[in-house]
Amino acid sequence: MEGVITGVRRFTRWGLWFGGALILAAAIVIGIDVVMRKFFTASIGGADELAGYSLAIGTAWGLGAALVDRAHIRIDSLYVLFPRKLRLVLDVAALTLFVAFFGIMAWYGLGVLEQSWTSGSRSQSALEIPTVIPQLLWMLGLLGFVIVGVLLLLYALQLGLRGDLNGMGRAIGTRSAEEEIEDEIRDLESRRDGRVGG
Amino acid sequence: MLLVTLIILIGLLALSIPVAAGLGILGLSLSAIYSKLPLSLAMGEIAWGTSNNFLLVAIPFFVLLGEILLRSGMAERMYNALVLWVPWLPGGLMHSNIVACAMFAATSGSSVATAATIGTVALNEVEKRGYSERLFLGTIAAGGTLGILIPPSINMIVYGVLTDTSIPKLYLAGFIPGVILATLFSLTVLVVCLIRPALGGKPTVSTWQQRIEALPDLLPPLIIFFAVIGSIYAGLATATESAALGVIAALAIAAWNRRLTMNALLAALEGTMRTNAMIMAILLAAYFLNFVITSIGLTGQVNHLITSLGLSPTELLIVVVIFYLILGMFMETLSMMVATVPIITPIMVKAGFDSIWFGIIIIILMELAMITPPVGINLYVVQGLRKRGKIDDVIIGALPFVLTMLLMVLVLSIWPQIALWLPRFAAGG
Repeated sequence: MEGVITGVRRFTRWGLWFGGALILAAAIVIGIDVVMRKFFTASIGGADELAGYSLAIGTAWGLGAALVDRAHIRIDSLYVLFPRKLRLVLDVAALTLFVAFFGIMAWYGLGVLEQSWTSGSRSQSALEIPTVIPQLLWMLGLLGFVIVGVLLLLYALQLGLRGDLNGMGRAIGTRSAEEEIEDEIRDLESRRDGRVGG
Repeated sequence: MLLVTLIILIGLLALSIPVAAGLGILGLSLSAIYSKLPLSLAMGEIAWGTSNNFLLVAIPFFVLLGEILLRSGMAERMYNALVLWVPWLPGGLMHSNIVACAMFAATSGSSVATAATIGTVALNEVEKRGYSERLFLGTIAAGGTLGILIPPSINMIVYGVLTDTSIPKLYLAGFIPGVILATLFSLTVLVVCLIRPALGGKPTVSTWQQRIEALPDLLPPLIIFFAVIGSIYAGLATATESAALGVIAALAIAAWNRRLTMNALLAALEGTMRTNAMIMAILLAAYFLNFVITSIGLTGQVNHLITSLGLSPTELLIVVVIFYLILGMFMETLSMMVATVPIITPIMVKAGFDSIWFGIIIIILMELAMITPPVGINLYVVQGLRKRGKIDDVIIGALPFVLTMLLMVLVLSIWPQIALWLPRFAAGG
């Protein structure tokens, strides 16, 4: 299971880079488009549409990383007051509900994809992209997220059954304010020293 | 219906269920209890339609802009230049902190990024010069909140999208209140230091030659500000397009400072997409929830309930301010906006308030939420940067600025023109 979870982390990191590259490309294409409109009174046409797809795909591929890195916001005002076992129960519930909700969303999203496929619909813009293409990439990201979520849950439960409650908390607990700030500071310091890294 | 909704929502959030899942599960539950048709059938369309909304593309752009700027070396240079220009007033460097925050806010759409960036640079100075540490910390925590009031602003984009309000108009409306609030922060420091001169620290000495030589370091923030805000009002770009121009300008500045390495770029992209996924997850769930509560008639019921209370507009506004003041102590700002703004804004508009003006009020209330304990993100950011002492120091240091922000809400309520003049002027009347 350790090996699996290492693989999951690597996969979600790739997801972030993939989505990030799409967003960066979208920014550059839009920049070129704005300049072309101003100086050459020409437009790439559909840059906004492509940027929209980048957001949808980038978000779907980033959900898993945010889950593994525990970046999804949880309100922990009460949580921190609870005994550890109860907190771990809540962690499992939190993870299950999160994966369940976005899993349901993905399920209904599949319906949207199916409809685009059968109707052969194309986008309204000059690009006339078959909507199936961006929707398929979006859906793959969502399905990847569901698999990541299920594997993470199994991993956490396994740690719990083995009695490694610390490890379980580290895998799916909330990032305490302290822990989060520590990360931020390590990050800022490494930037200041010029050893740039994540 | 309202009671059941509140119980489910508060229950889920209090049990630390992730905000996005909490809102989504609430939507599914309400649909199951109150709707004849399963509203979840619309989920696919809502998910896809929201995910590729062009207006929302501005969110990852601004997060990316911030991530690049943090790594670009711009903030250090800017702060060092401001230190030479500002600190002759009683309170010295604390004014530099506020001006630096305001300037950085003009390039950044996030308050956390503003406090973290300026805090890292400024905290090196506190010991050297014998300032009251508490007040010094307070200027950074409070000054940082300007990030979302002075345009660009991620929170304004969220408000604009949730309420169908023009984002360029919100940006314009935030500008003058942002400058006034920064000035009021400075006055707060001045007043505190005149009452208790011991808190003021040693003044720094700088020559005119040093000052002039440092001026070029103030240019990069201005370049970003003009790329982002200027391009909108020159009619060159929409709100989202202007964010893309900001990203390109930030890349150029990072490259100029020789900080644009492959590792830095990958780290910036990682951070951006992680934050983006977190924000979008909440927005996706919120869109579905909003669809459900409108379909089952809950929005109408809340409206009816508020109307039946027979409050005057002023009383209503006071109730709303108190509501956000209390909620803001316990909730993070984005979740708070997404959960409340779609319901409260229509009520306020119906009572005769301008939706742009109310947007600015909401933004200032969110700023307040960032420095009120126990959950005030900027307090934690500043305490974290400091690495010693107790968080109480930051909380006490930020307290005078809580009063300043409330004063700002009052000023805006008496003279709404402060926010509304610029957008009207720009619209040509």
